[in-house]
Amino acid sequence: MSWEFIAAQFAAQFAYWWIICLGILLGIVVGILPGFSPQNTLIMLLPLTLGIPVDQAFAFMVSLYCANHLAGGVPAILVKIPGSGGAAATTLDGYPMTQKGQAQQAIVLSFTASVFGGLITTIATLALLPWLSQIGLYLRSVEMVVVMLFGLTLIAVIAAKDTLKGLISGLFGLLIGVIGTDHIYNAPRATFGFLELYDGVPLVAALIGLFAVSEALVMIEEKLIVGSEGRERAMQASWADTLDGLRLTVQKWWHIVWTSFVGLLIGLVPGAGASIAAFVAYQQSRMWSKHPELYGTGIPEGVIAPEAANNGVTSGTLVPTLALGVPGGSTAAVMMIVLQYHGMVMGPRLFTTNPELAYGVFISMAVAYIFMIFTILPLARYMSRIVLIETTYLVPIIVLVTVVAAFVERQYLFDMGLALVFGVIGYIAHKTNYHVTAMLIGIILGPLFEQYLARALRISQGDLTILFSSTLGNILWGFLVLSLVLPVLKTRFSRSSPPQP
Amino acid sequence: MVRKESAGADLVIPLLALAFAAYFFWSIVDLVWEAKANGVVIGTVLVALVLVQLARIGLRVVRGEADLRTDPLWEPRDVLGKRIGMVLVTIAFIVLLQVLGLTLALFVAMAAGLWIMGVRKPARLLAISFGVAATAYLLFIVALDAGFPHGLIEKIFS
Repeated sequence: MSWEFIAAQFAAQFAYWWIICLGILLGIVVGILPGFSPQNTLIMLLPLTLGIPVDQAFAFMVSLYCANHLAGGVPAILVKIPGSGGAAATTLDGYPMTQKGQAQQAIVLSFTASVFGGLITTIATLALLPWLSQIGLYLRSVEMVVVMLFGLTLIAVIAAKDTLKGLISGLFGLLIGVIGTDHIYNAPRATFGFLELYDGVPLVAALIGLFAVSEALVMIEEKLIVGSEGRERAMQASWADTLDGLRLTVQKWWHIVWTSFVGLLIGLVPGAGASIAAFVAYQQSRMWSKHPELYGTGIPEGVIAPEAANNGVTSGTLVPTLALGVPGGSTAAVMMIVLQYHGMVMGPRLFTTNPELAYGVFISMAVAYIFMIFTILPLARYMSRIVLIETTYLVPIIVLVTVVAAFVERQYLFDMGLALVFGVIGYIAHKTNYHVTAMLIGIILGPLFEQYLARALRISQGDLTILFSSTLGNILWGFLVLSLVLPVLKTRFSRSSPPQP
Repeated sequence: MVRKESAGADLVIPLLALAFAAYFFWSIVDLVWEAKANGVVIGTVLVALVLVQLARIGLRVVRGEADLRTDPLWEPRDVLGKRIGMVLVTIAFIVLLQVLGLTLALFVAMAAGLWIMGVRKPARLLAISFGVAATAYLLFIVALDAGFPHGLIEKIFS
């Protein structure tokens, strides 16, 4: 791959600016709405993508995919309603920033972390493609069990404020995540007799209920979602706040880089996704921070980590899809359908027989990110004004529109009712300080953890020592133990060390 | 006299979790171990933690530090009607959706929701409801054809 080839590809992709902008626009609209994942949007748009040339179709799909991941953080920051599972971790610090009157800074941080995180990992993917495509082969079920545990330890972190309540919430979520048929025998478990639950609890309905509906029911108590100080700051929002967000971006550039690589690595594993990446990145960011106690109070790092990671996933997901012919996720699977319809054969040969397309996908991703920074960043100032809308208007819109969105993923009215049930559970949890985020982590990661654990145990015929049988797995176990023990040791050390004169 | 802390609300989530865990265990009795191993481990730990929480609250009640009132769930009382009203409107919306179609059902539910929330100016109430319903129609029916039930409006414009 020569520099001339890359330059020619960049020029070719810039020529598709109109379709990339269309993809970005649509990706942002559906990304802001909880319930619209990129895969179901792309499925609905298959008549369009199958009808246009494959390179244009890919430019459109890739830009929609990336913009969707970016936009999910906006409602998470402004109204504590993540647009997707990948943005759930963003609520932990994004919403407190809004309540402090720093909504604009938080949105700018979310945009820049997403764009630069996505751009950096895309460039890294282009440069390291042959090696990255092999990583997915080494991360098997045993290693993925440990990766899942990285995410699940976030429950313990959240539970730190009230251990018992946090752990009950997390484990309740994990048990809800086990609803549905098992991964080996397809035996139904705790489905309450509903066929709609055989595939498990739909994540979108749980997300909408636990965050959107419950938050709206709590929001009723206040006139605005921000306090008087936050209102004053939101009313005085100016370009200076956007610049302040950019200043924070420059200040925290290294944080963007390393958390986006967490996303890239997790994205390389088929089946893992943005939700896991965001939770693991947030957990790691907190673990290695000098001030872990500030996480959850509204700090820039808490917004950067999940947002950079969930966009770092985007390029990682496409690596196994293109290089191995194994879809890295459900969105990548839809993209594969489009490629196959156009007669393309996935796998290593794609890079020799059709390099313009294979590398062009990543280059169009990079171009989409470049477009995004110029088109979206100026909007942060106006988006942050949403907090000034009175809850009298906001509550009915949030409840009804998000319940509508719950229908979209599977097109079952059942899911709308389920979202309402989760909304009531989430409301009770909110009012009694049981953590809905811990519950959601359980619901998201529980089924995946079980899936990988069941696979590993199936291979070993029930022998648990398989979990410690691979070198990479053991290294990951070591990191897991280290990341749990180190903060405790750091706290002990700082307490026992004499005060500096 | 110092008012006792109302701990009854704190029991709702643990009791829900306990009831669900019991149902879960009942539903997996006849399954092979691979299908139930994960759930059994999670459920057992959950039940143990719930029992600890129940014991903790029980002790506070016995000591006279707390009682079993569920006030935090219903307070502040002045917005309770709005809260219950919004839940009822949402249930009605899901039922009406099959009869009226997305656009009309959303328009009616939005108008009802805004009224419950205290919007009394007819022009504002109708304009917001119309705006939300029209946006939903354009996005979910026209642009994405997301499979929502069709009603009068959708048939007229199809």
